[in-house]
Amino acid sequence: MTSKDDWVNDLDPIQPADWDRARAKHLLNRAGFGGTPEDIDRLATLTPVEAVRRIIDYEKVENGDLPAFEHSGVYDPTLKVFPPSRPATTRKAETTGEAIGVRVKPGGSRRMQPVVDRFFFWLRATALETRRIAAWWADRMVSTDRPLQEKMALFWHGHFATGADKVRDYRKMLVQLELFHQKGTGNFRELLIAVAQDPAMLVFLDAGQNVKGAPNENFGREVMELFTMGVGNYSEHDIREAARAFTGWTNDDLRFKLDEAKHDTGEKEFLGRRGNFDGVDILNIILDQKVTANFMAGKIYRYFARDDLSPVLQERLGAVLRENDYELRPLLRTIFLSRDFYSEPSVGTRIKGPVDLIVSLCRELGLKRLPGVPDFNSSCGELGQVLLNPPTVAGWAQGRSWITPGMLLARGNLARQMLLPDMINFVDPNLDPGPQIREVNNRILRGMSVTAATSEENPGTGMAEDRAMANVLADKEDFNTRYGSLNGWREAVRRVKPTLRVPAQFSLSALVLSAQPKTTTEVVNIMLGRFLSVPLAEKSRLALVDFLNNELGTSDVQQAMTYMEDPLRLLVHLIMSTPEYQLA
Amino acid sequence: MTSHYGCDVARREVLRLGLYAGGLAAALGVPMSLSGIARAAEAAASGRILVVVELSGANDGLNTVVPYGDDAYYRARPRLGIRADKLRKIDDTFGFQSGMAGFERLYKDGWLAIVHGVGYDQPSFSHFSSMAYWHTGAPNSGAAYGWLGRLADGMDPAGTADYLVNIDSHQSLAVRARSHVPLVFDDPDKFLRTAAFEEESALRAVVTSREVGNPTQRFLLEVANSAENAEPRLRQACAEYRTPVDYGLVHFGLDKVAALIAAGFPTRIYYVAFRNNAFDTHVQQSDVHARLLTYTSDHIAAFLHDMDRIGRADDVCVMAFSEFGRRVAENANLGTDHGTASTLFIAGKRVRGGHYGKMPSLVDLDDGNMRYTTDFRRVYATLIREWMNHSDVGAVLGRDFEPLGVFG
Repeated sequence: MTSKDDWVNDLDPIQPADWDRARAKHLLNRAGFGGTPEDIDRLATLTPVEAVRRIIDYEKVENGDLPAFEHSGVYDPTLKVFPPSRPATTRKAETTGEAIGVRVKPGGSRRMQPVVDRFFFWLRATALETRRIAAWWADRMVSTDRPLQEKMALFWHGHFATGADKVRDYRKMLVQLELFHQKGTGNFRELLIAVAQDPAMLVFLDAGQNVKGAPNENFGREVMELFTMGVGNYSEHDIREAARAFTGWTNDDLRFKLDEAKHDTGEKEFLGRRGNFDGVDILNIILDQKVTANFMAGKIYRYFARDDLSPVLQERLGAVLRENDYELRPLLRTIFLSRDFYSEPSVGTRIKGPVDLIVSLCRELGLKRLPGVPDFNSSCGELGQVLLNPPTVAGWAQGRSWITPGMLLARGNLARQMLLPDMINFVDPNLDPGPQIREVNNRILRGMSVTAATSEENPGTGMAEDRAMANVLADKEDFNTRYGSLNGWREAVRRVKPTLRVPAQFSLSALVLSAQPKTTTEVVNIMLGRFLSVPLAEKSRLALVDFLNNELGTSDVQQAMTYMEDPLRLLVHLIMSTPEYQLA
Repeated sequence: MTSHYGCDVARREVLRLGLYAGGLAAALGVPMSLSGIARAAEAAASGRILVVVELSGANDGLNTVVPYGDDAYYRARPRLGIRADKLRKIDDTFGFQSGMAGFERLYKDGWLAIVHGVGYDQPSFSHFSSMAYWHTGAPNSGAAYGWLGRLADGMDPAGTADYLVNIDSHQSLAVRARSHVPLVFDDPDKFLRTAAFEEESALRAVVTSREVGNPTQRFLLEVANSAENAEPRLRQACAEYRTPVDYGLVHFGLDKVAALIAAGFPTRIYYVAFRNNAFDTHVQQSDVHARLLTYTSDHIAAFLHDMDRIGRADDVCVMAFSEFGRRVAENANLGTDHGTASTLFIAGKRVRGGHYGKMPSLVDLDDGNMRYTTDFRRVYATLIREWMNHSDVGAVLGRDFEPLGVFG
């Protein structure tokens, strides 16, 4: 059943008579991460209202006991106040005799080496632990029966973008993620205030440096530009006044703390109002602005429906958010039930982001767990989205920006790695220190001195001036940073829990045979139905049938049943390499 | 102007012919208007290549080319100000940060133009907005295509493949064009399709299908075709390139640009970036900024010396910019906040090295920020007209802008 043009921008709910399997699939693709034909059938047999209820009111859905994150135990309180750089660490050690829980050696060579080692240990340990959190989260996305909870958490993570590399504390990232899980489909006012007081966010936007008399505008600016209103709806003066209201907002480890002495209690003028505002007041004033509801409703709509949003429709959606005092579920329900959501420009037009792609691939294959091979973080990184490390506070650009010629190739390659994992060449990236540390390690094991082991081989013409300046500066006396990198890495890898490297367990033959196909043409059609959300070009479809015929040596499925698995995997690889597969 | 490296004139000519042939061959088979042919020939004949380096995050120009001769600098920056004896002085007024050996050498060879006070009217202090203005060449406005995309469309209406190359994980707005699909890649080793021999023909069929679908589908098909065509040549170019030049500790793409130039790619415009707001030094600026500048100086200087080594220095020019500068006064966290005008660099053998534009006053400020003295579009006009020999500046920038006279 095709949708008519008049469904565009129509917020009226879709009727049961217009509900079908294709639309159920569309809902599951957008509100979740797609699924198996059985998952789609389950939604298709419900009425639209019931299907959307099942998606949104997910507490009612049984989810089993998804495992909590298992900490490796690399943190201890001496790491709580971690210096901002290696030079800052060694300066502290020089002046006070110790830093991050390690004393400077009273004598001997390289007296500050242990301090430097510890510095690099923490950098590596928290980075590794952060990768483990990302994989744990992706595992939840794959196995959950409450996909909207994870999809909204992913949305908020991209919206309130916080980069783990700068935060340098995996525990804070976990706390923030927990916030998105708990409050992601609740009330936006509550969520906004909680995020503004979230330790990871406070660190990321330099809140701790925002103090009375010397306000730091980073936080105030991004709150307005990116998190609530968008550029053009406030002045530079508003930003400075907001910064004053947020002064003293800081964290004590994993808790929000208001440092009263550093808080500017004076009168402020913000968005036309005057008062002795604090940070919460500022946020509430922002939420009072009509533009805020419109901005947020628009961003949520674009994430789930389509990029092209008319100003009129945006106003109407903003009104839904506003009239419900920023409760998110009424807005989500409106969007997911609307005829506009199922109109032609909305269906099969969204380019799946990397995390979305990988997770839906797993779900379409019927996997219950995220595979350990290929490495999830490496895969996502190659496709341009590193979970917990967005490129900037603006998050990821989404849509067409996911696609470049290099990226399209990478997506096809990823699919192959999932379907036919290369266990022969697989190297655990968490255990791979990179060529530089590897070389230093080898030299040390061969008995070279630290100086010799860490010296940069000169690839230039041999003249000292030709060496890049940075390599000259790298040699020091009281400690050796390259050696510290090696030592720190070694200890981190020793202590961080290993990731289980099990490739995906599934049988395409079993999936296909349950539909009892007779010919390769039928098999190809089954696969296309399972993995694609838009029709495949006829020429491509025929090429796939040809391919399968060649691989099986017959078009009769009965004859080929006992050796079909690998050819089927190659077939699905081809399907996932199509431009069409990138769409949901 | 002299340099420490020799130039092989004969070799240079051979390489240039190779480039010309490649460009023309690509253009054959596509009907062009007479003026289009003339334009393409003019551009191909000059063979010039523009490399744009984006220093993302707003580089603090004041601590890059330090005005040590101006007392106001030290008054505004009691802790962040860099002492004169720690600088690489280039004259009585200015000095580079100590880690910038590469840039100092370029300057002394006469290969580096320093443009002071570059900015625009009603400056934005938002990274994303201001960078978008620089990308589109349309400040305080919206535009669908990038200035380099429009330049490519103007110089090469036929839409030659791989005319624009963007080395990054995402395509920059700066290279977005109406008639060109920029070649965007990050790691050449990953720019490779892993596939079994048996899959090849089916793979080619499914990725190069031309059936019409929804607009997003059409976009995906265009990109897929570009990937299919570029893949083998790109990998080969990067795999085969060998250089003794040390590109520094951090490579942000110029080594790959060198490989493609050496391999004779028809590319005329390269865009690379030191990414992810690396230069956004709000807090504890000293050490981080020193490192960033060292990496930047090393990498760009190495690239130009490498171009000289292979005899292409006459054809290549690098421009390095940031979306804005930083405030004159240091902040309370030993860092600096978003500012306005900043220093911009144009480097290459054909550059007439020296100072351009006017260093803004450090006391007559606009709410703590420098007043810009050179509109950044004049820099663009300089590159379009003087370097790329393309006279229709108005079509690229909306109107004409007076060039700076950087090229001799």
